[in-house]
Amino acid sequence: MSPIKAGEKETRPEVKFPGGRGRKAMRSRPGVCSIAFVLFAVALFLSPAARAQDDSGESKGTNWGDYNIHQSVEFGYRANEISGNQDTYGTFVNLGSGVRLFDYTLEMRSLDHNGFLFDNLTFANFGYGGDPNDVSRLRIQKNKKYDFRMQFRRDKNFWDYNLFANPLNPAALNPVGSETTGCIVSPPTAVHPGLPGYCSNPAIAAVNSPHALDLVRRMQDYDLTLFPNSAIRFRLGYSRNRDLGPGFFTTDGGTISDFPETYSYTTNAYRAGVDVRILPRTTISYDQFLSYFKQDNSVTDNPAVTPQNFGFQLANPTVNGTPAGTPVDLGLIWSTQTPAEALPCSAIAAPIINFGTAPPTLTNAACNGFLSYSQVGNPRNSIPTERVRFQSNYFEKFEMSGSAGYSSSDYKYTDLSEFVNDWTARTATRGSTAGGPIETKRVSVNADWSGAYLVTEKFRIVDRFRYDNWRTPGMWVLNETNIFATGFAGITGLQQNQAVFNAANCPLGDFNAVTCPFHTAGSGADVTNGLGLTFLGQNLKSNTIEAEYDYNRRVRGYIGYLYTNRTIAQLDATTNGDTDTSGAACGNLGCSLTYFPGGTAAAATAANDFLAARGSCAFPAAPAPHVLPAGCTLNADGSITFIGPAGPAPTRTLTTINTNAALLGAVVRPIDALRINADLEFGFNDKSYTRIDPTVVQSYKLHVNYKPRPWAMLDGALEIHENRDNATDVNNREHDRSYSFAALLMPNRRLSVDFGYNYWDVYTQSEICFNYSISYSNFPAAGTTVFQTSPPGVATTACPIAGASVLTGAGPNGALSTYSSNDHFAHAALVYKPGKRITTTVGYGGSFVRGSSIFLNPLTPSGTLDYNYQRPYATIVVDIYRGFSYKTSWNYYGFTETGTTNPFGLGGIPLQDFNGSNLTFSFRYAF
Amino acid sequence: MGMGHNFEFSRIRTAVLFLLGSAALAIPAHAQGNKAAPGPAGATFVGSETCKTCHEEIFNGWEKSPHWKQTLKEGGISKHGCEDCHGPGSAHVEGGGDKTKIFMFENASSNDINARCLTCHVGGPEHMNTINSEHAKSGVSCASCHSPHHSESREFLLKKSEPELCYSCHLAQKAQFDMPFHHRVNEGLVQCSDCHNPHGTVGPKQVRASSTQNAICFKCHADKEGPFVYEHAPVKTDGCTSCHLTHGGPNPHMLKLSNVNLLCLQCHTTSTFSTAPGAPSFHNQATFFQACVLCHSQIHGSNFDATLFK
Repeated sequence: MSPIKAGEKETRPEVKFPGGRGRKAMRSRPGVCSIAFVLFAVALFLSPAARAQDDSGESKGTNWGDYNIHQSVEFGYRANEISGNQDTYGTFVNLGSGVRLFDYTLEMRSLDHNGFLFDNLTFANFGYGGDPNDVSRLRIQKNKKYDFRMQFRRDKNFWDYNLFANPLNPAALNPVGSETTGCIVSPPTAVHPGLPGYCSNPAIAAVNSPHALDLVRRMQDYDLTLFPNSAIRFRLGYSRNRDLGPGFFTTDGGTISDFPETYSYTTNAYRAGVDVRILPRTTISYDQFLSYFKQDNSVTDNPAVTPQNFGFQLANPTVNGTPAGTPVDLGLIWSTQTPAEALPCSAIAAPIINFGTAPPTLTNAACNGFLSYSQVGNPRNSIPTERVRFQSNYFEKFEMSGSAGYSSSDYKYTDLSEFVNDWTARTATRGSTAGGPIETKRVSVNADWSGAYLVTEKFRIVDRFRYDNWRTPGMWVLNETNIFATGFAGITGLQQNQAVFNAANCPLGDFNAVTCPFHTAGSGADVTNGLGLTFLGQNLKSNTIEAEYDYNRRVRGYIGYLYTNRTIAQLDATTNGDTDTSGAACGNLGCSLTYFPGGTAAAATAANDFLAARGSCAFPAAPAPHVLPAGCTLNADGSITFIGPAGPAPTRTLTTINTNAALLGAVVRPIDALRINADLEFGFNDKSYTRIDPTVVQSYKLHVNYKPRPWAMLDGALEIHENRDNATDVNNREHDRSYSFAALLMPNRRLSVDFGYNYWDVYTQSEICFNYSISYSNFPAAGTTVFQTSPPGVATTACPIAGASVLTGAGPNGALSTYSSNDHFAHAALVYKPGKRITTTVGYGGSFVRGSSIFLNPLTPSGTLDYNYQRPYATIVVDIYRGFSYKTSWNYYGFTETGTTNPFGLGGIPLQDFNGSNLTFSFRYAF
Repeated sequence: MGMGHNFEFSRIRTAVLFLLGSAALAIPAHAQGNKAAPGPAGATFVGSETCKTCHEEIFNGWEKSPHWKQTLKEGGISKHGCEDCHGPGSAHVEGGGDKTKIFMFENASSNDINARCLTCHVGGPEHMNTINSEHAKSGVSCASCHSPHHSESREFLLKKSEPELCYSCHLAQKAQFDMPFHHRVNEGLVQCSDCHNPHGTVGPKQVRASSTQNAICFKCHADKEGPFVYEHAPVKTDGCTSCHLTHGGPNPHMLKLSNVNLLCLQCHTTSTFSTAPGAPSFHNQATFFQACVLCHSQIHGSNFDATLFK
């Protein structure tokens, strides 16, 4: 590595990352693999023609025919040893052991720049053989004829960091006779400071992320430019993005369950364009884009497909209901005691599971749970877009560019089908279905114009205008049903069968039959047909004008003004078709509700049409004439249909925000070796759309580059962003401050040192209101009950925000929510060549995160507030003979949580810590 | 559904007409764009072979690059080779290599350098917005990243490959990409230029837009684009950066906060100036509502659940 000569290479040597690109590998799609393999084989076939080569280091390539060919291939084996949390290692690093193609490059250059098919070809690949990222990039050019680029990327995206939604796990029930008994997670004593919380019996820890996934994303891009230097230039392109793999989907159906989901979505994007030079120094372009998106995800939960979710069985007393031994999915999160709405069972002190059976048996039929779930559908979206662009410096002192585009996507989802087979205690339903066609559009019209006028040689005025208008009208013709249970005596909850309303099960005159759906007076409609219409749009106009002045070649500056006006329009007009509601109202758009009869003899009587007259069709209270409300019709089968009128017209919400900002900046080079860049921005918004949208924006950037010697380069940077909204009930403040330093020293051919440090300070705060309510007994004195309405350690006040929802008997609490993260990042690399043929590298990269936050739940682990992530590495490369070299690399990955990993009382969860060592042995041949 | 017409045919017709019209207009178009750089008054061209006598190493590097053919081999005024970019060199030669009598990129202002390069590299999707280039405004010239004579990267004559080239100035971003939760830039899967156009874009931070002028994020995260019947509005109005960091960060999914609930409550608190609904009263933070996204799992938008449950 030679010192940099003045004016020769104003650059640094390539900094090697820990492990380098050699750790990328994986299988690709067969077609692309084949292409890569064929090219690789051809390249190797050509290699015997090698003639001119150095005896060490990089070769000058091989002349073959009209081409100079330069190839390099690096392959080898990686061995790794991982201890600790394998899932976190997989989420962060995911490099495994095995044989890998770490790198392969091919470069062909026509010697006379007039090759038969091409003048230049570059083909670069890495990562094949099993690593999470494999990439191939190909570029083929023939001057003035064509330029073809291809890129294939495969990303194995594994995710299982289980503190994302922390805390997932309930506190364990402390046994009688222990230091603290009962549902105490953190006795408020000097020994165990803190407060009690809810717990579960039993407490079952969720040890994996509820949203874990293991997707493979394959991205392909092909671009061909024909006649790239001609007056008419044509461009063709195609991109494909395919995402496929298993993951998990959570939803609330009485218990929060974690359903397996198969992800499958594909985007095919086609583009064609032409650049035309009609006038001198003027280019006009037209592009047509066609993009098609299709999604074929499916969510399935049943014992045959996902046995892992069905670790328990029902203990039914009779065959009249769901059979005993039926596998049941009780969901992800358990909190069985005390709360009014606990999961999966409510306020049950005794263990809800009998572990004496195999599989364990659910002992309480009132518990929520799933017997099966499915959600399938195939939404499709087509997005045609056209765009016209121009750029011109036709006029000597006036340069301008601009574009205008129109796009309208049509998202159709015609086959939605959701089927739920569960028991939801709060609605007393034994399942539900949802379907109905969906269509959404996104219409976008946008344009921009920029002009630069050279007033003098030193003074320039630049103006930029941008217009962006989009709107997304959406519609769902909803068709939902509530499924109720049959009414066999003594059978409740999941023990019941799903009832089907028909003449056989519910003959006229016998709507109390046990086979009929059993309703209560509060049951929702059996069938809901309605409409949901939504609209979201934004109209943005923005203009920036700047004056730029070059004082001399060492000093230049600019001052500018930015004005933006944007209006956001939002409208939601929906049938009140929530299957949980009684159907008392029909929202803005009207609806059609159907109430089936059926219920116990005591509740479902002729006086209320056997409970078909409920909800919107309930008979008026006393005096109680047997007359249905308007819109309700008694059908021949005993059901009642309600055609609900449209309610008040929906109100469109308009939010208009005006932004004014001053811009200021300078570039100063006091001496040739020193360069200073500074940029400032001060902005004001007169309104916010969300509570974290700032009304005051400040931005400061400073970058200093100093090159005291040709072999030394020093860099320092400061970047500060400050946002705030001073509204008293918002009090939002954010800052993002980075302070960086980096140095590169290359004192001689044998040694180079690269090191740096970055301090990143992130802070955010805002007033929040939240509900918090907890009660516990036996403290401080036995027999007393204490209510706690704010989380421990959080300074709360009465919620200052008018209109905030209030939890009866408790908050809401107002608190200043704060979060800060102070991150230190240090890196260093030392490259030393002890001999002509040996190159050694030792390096280190480490991130040290220290943060703080309020905790609304005392069971919350600190998670990513505090940790160290360190990655030292070392490499030795030995040049053996004529471009053939041997390389050994060692890479270490260490992740250590340094905060509160398991708060007292929290059900045990595994630490996220891991230590991973990768040892790589590889050979590289450049020829 | 009656929400619009199918414009496919009219689009194609418009495109065809445009192409035909453009072709017709282009036929008499003059050769344009390429013009030799001006030099000292009275200076004349001496030819690249003359340059080679003193600058052989540079000549050999340039001879292997695509510039060689563009500036020397093919027709017109561009036959001047080195002098296409550096200007006529007779005065420089006669002055015994006087550097003041030829255009020297290393001493030139960024505006002058850019003007030289854009003489040829003007137009096309990548260079359409050079006027808006924040790089150019900050004095970062073409020669700051590209080296026609000494490029280390095989592509685009870059001084170094991405991301190292970008990290040379963007030090904080290097730290962000080294956090455990990050876009796979250091791994080589994603490049800085996938999301940013270093030559300028219409929007801020030189961030690219999708073909529909939507967020570039949706190119890879296509399932989040929608449009959905029930949008999580800030995703579309304010962008992904409302909740996520873009390069990398300390928190899962590059969220701005370590705890999901606190992130949600920042907006979902009833407030005078907020359009977001406050969290309802039964969302007792002491109980099992440990993470909003466990129930509101379709946080980026849903087609059939207004509460974004599914």
